[in-house]
Amino acid sequence: MTKQVTLTIDGIQIDVPDETLVVDAAKKAGIDIPVFCYHPKMEPVGMCRMCLVEIGRPMINRSTGQPVLNEDGQPTMQFMPKPETACTNLVSEGMVVLTQSESAKEAQKDIIEFLLTSHPLDCPICDKGGECPLQNLTMEHGPGKSRFLFDGKFKMEKQIRLGELIVLDRERCIICARCVRFQEEVAGQAVLAIDDRGRGSEIISVSEPGFDSVFSGNTTDICPVGALTTTDFRFGARPWELLSAASICGQCPVGCNITFNTRREAKSAGKVVIKRVMPRQNEQVNETWICDKGRFAYHYAKSKERLSKPLLRKDDKLKTTSWSSATKLVAEKLGEAGKDTIVLASGRLSNEDLFNLKSLADGLGGKAVLYTEMGGGDLVTQIGVGQGTNFSDMGQGDAIFVIASDLYEEAPIWWLRVKQAADRGAKLIVANSRETKLDKFANFVVRYSNGDEVKTVQDLGGTGKIAQAFSKADNAIVLFGSDGLGLEGSTHLATACANLLEETGHIGKANNGLIGVWPKANDQGAWELGFHPEPDLAAILKGKAVYIVGADPANDNPALAKALKKAKFVVVQDLFRTATAELADVILPAQTYTERDGTFTSGERRAQRFYAAVPGLGESKPDYAITSEIAEKLNIQLEGTSSVLVFEKLAASVKDFAGLSYAKLAEVTEQWPIVGRGDLYYGGSTYENTQGLGVQLVSASDRGETVSIPKVRNDAGLRPKKDELLAVPITKLYDRGTTVAPTEFLTERIGDVTIALHPEAAKKLGVEAGKRVKISFEDVEGEAVVKIDETISAGVALVPRSMGLAIREPVVIKVQ
Amino acid sequence: MLAEKYPEEVKQILGRYPPEQKRSAVMPLLFMAQREEGFVNKEAKHEIASMLDISETEVASIIGFYTLYHAKKEGKYRFQVCNDLPCALRGADKFLEGLCDKLGVQVGETTNDGFVTIETVMCLAACDKVPMFQTQSPNGIKYYENMTIDKTMELIEVLKMADKEVK
Repeated sequence: MTKQVTLTIDGIQIDVPDETLVVDAAKKAGIDIPVFCYHPKMEPVGMCRMCLVEIGRPMINRSTGQPVLNEDGQPTMQFMPKPETACTNLVSEGMVVLTQSESAKEAQKDIIEFLLTSHPLDCPICDKGGECPLQNLTMEHGPGKSRFLFDGKFKMEKQIRLGELIVLDRERCIICARCVRFQEEVAGQAVLAIDDRGRGSEIISVSEPGFDSVFSGNTTDICPVGALTTTDFRFGARPWELLSAASICGQCPVGCNITFNTRREAKSAGKVVIKRVMPRQNEQVNETWICDKGRFAYHYAKSKERLSKPLLRKDDKLKTTSWSSATKLVAEKLGEAGKDTIVLASGRLSNEDLFNLKSLADGLGGKAVLYTEMGGGDLVTQIGVGQGTNFSDMGQGDAIFVIASDLYEEAPIWWLRVKQAADRGAKLIVANSRETKLDKFANFVVRYSNGDEVKTVQDLGGTGKIAQAFSKADNAIVLFGSDGLGLEGSTHLATACANLLEETGHIGKANNGLIGVWPKANDQGAWELGFHPEPDLAAILKGKAVYIVGADPANDNPALAKALKKAKFVVVQDLFRTATAELADVILPAQTYTERDGTFTSGERRAQRFYAAVPGLGESKPDYAITSEIAEKLNIQLEGTSSVLVFEKLAASVKDFAGLSYAKLAEVTEQWPIVGRGDLYYGGSTYENTQGLGVQLVSASDRGETVSIPKVRNDAGLRPKKDELLAVPITKLYDRGTTVAPTEFLTERIGDVTIALHPEAAKKLGVEAGKRVKISFEDVEGEAVVKIDETISAGVALVPRSMGLAIREPVVIKVQ
Repeated sequence: MLAEKYPEEVKQILGRYPPEQKRSAVMPLLFMAQREEGFVNKEAKHEIASMLDISETEVASIIGFYTLYHAKKEGKYRFQVCNDLPCALRGADKFLEGLCDKLGVQVGETTNDGFVTIETVMCLAACDKVPMFQTQSPNGIKYYENMTIDKTMELIEVLKMADKEVK
């Protein structure tokens, strides 16, 4: 058990738990002890010696166990003869810490002097300049002059690429090992290490590809010098020129809090553009980290391919038109169609956009359809995770069950946080039909055959060892995905998971419940607002007026392309002129979420605000505004002037959002560790959260209402028959989707479209790893490069989504 | 491949450590790999990493940290001369310079026949018997103390003869 102790730092008295390090205690007292190697999210190592302070402890009489008192009746303090490192010493009762004494200041000054004996003076061309801990601490604590006469600075080639994403300047490195420790302790991927020793020490990575981790960008945030920089931001701008806008990452359902750094620049023809993406602290969502996809894949927003003007089909050609004539025609056609209107929207849109779209569909008596290949959102909406859920609070006594999801590829920050919960002692159960990167950290790995997903979940309700670990846990969370599954399979899986949670009582309280690992950032929001996927979408499009927003069905599915050609009227509202847009009668240019305000609902049902970072492109408008413009012409009253007004209406009509407002979502409370203030050396260059931590929605289970969960049969899944090859879809982090591919330097990581086969299947087909094969199924034909995966069954092949082969659900394929 | 070539020895080394701490076997396995060619090649690095469930970068880092592990091919015999302060005071620097001249190489270089590489090392705990060096070769590590340049050249000849006989 921890107990509180009282200590005095520079005359300030403070109470902290006894497991606190002196450096953190000082931080809490508002005193900054300089550090380089220490980071509040990692184990202390005491490598850099920058945090030297004088520490005194009360002298204890060994026979009585009582403090020895001096003449004034005060405890006699015993100081070590030399300063001690504040980052490796725990606080103790009655401790006295002096951070400003002559001896402490002298020691700190000496360390800076030592570090500078071999640090290049290239600050004017260094990307870190302006937000550099070494620069700042030198100004604050450094000696100003060097007594070092030996001209022996470490000279190295100025830059080496640790991979395509991160550049290393070895001359600048001060060997604090923060990056190495981050990769090992936090990310669990030891792909960085120190080579050689002494003055010859340098950071190396020999992985394939170089610096093989999707968390690599975080090392540039915590690097206290300009040794690690991203290829994206390198020589991009100076930190002091940048403005910042709080936002939410739109790449996956985790909902990482981010900050867009922007600048108005000549290079971009005087426009304000995003220069980089930085993590923004939210200890309940992403702590102080983000993944590389979130950090680097923002370039689509400034792609030259973006739509900037409305287009109208005339003489079978799409021609630019005005907003008024475009929306007039759309309103006319949707009005004519009435209940034969289908609004097809994706979870890429914000809550405000979806709310307006749903209201429009309802107003017309039409149908609001969610464009997705993953089901089960109804149940997540009702059960969700309990209010106050935080992976960081999970550990010993708790359990986490991940099924049919490759978290590393689908939602990296959840992967990281689940892995850390397992590090803290939570029982981690990973079930999948193939090996994933999470297996290594799992207490139990369950390998099922494709089709047995439901059965696997139901077995967890039994009496086996794994089942016990789950059911007996104090708290338990289930994360389910759509690895190897389509709409039907994932719906069954979600149902089975909901049943399991209900049977074992893991609902309606914090750190318990169900999380859907959705393909899109706001799929959860779409479900909350009443959007549902349609099992046979192609069948219902014929003869209808279809309003497609933020989705490209024609590209994803040839059958849908065909069906859209038979639709009566098609209007597409998107960022790009997609394959679907090419089939449209009207195209409406939408703004990216970086250009306007709004909210997303994360997979953990946390509603979070994002703010406009850059002005909208050309004539493009926010989705909710376009919808409201159309609705107005149909006499359906929607809010369109501001997202805050839409949200007010939303909160007034959707039960789980009751009582929420933009102001409420913008509230913040003090978070630990303290980051992003004047002391970049402490937590890194992560932004402090000043614009909102968001609010987790209250679920029916939280309110104690009974949720009716349907039963599901354990043989519901699809299995390959004898001599069949069943291709199942899997998700890749870097795919060819419209929000990733425009970032050119990710091309290598995106790679080729692959098909993973069991060695036996490959042998039977007479193909081997690296060989290009022809694949055909239904209306789809394409090529893929063979990969071998020994962990899958022989009748199954893995095909990644959004990589060029239009796979949506398990399907029997032919390979040549 | 080590595991194929020396299955018994690998098994014996792995057997020394509890399975959950098998990464500790990295030291003897590297030593064994180095015995082959006098350095740890890329394949061995890869094999050891996957055998012990650690990253190849970690293996490379361990090789880099310890001066007795080598990642590059050099001479069959590494002559490692101590020129730390006490040795330098007793003439180790002069000895080193003379030896290099005689062999026609610089410190860190290998003779044309690929037989001898000259290196310097920190204290070998034989300050009273300077000039001294150790040789590192597939036959292990050996100390030579109270040496002169002539005696060293003789030693090289003897080692070369022994090497031929083995061949």
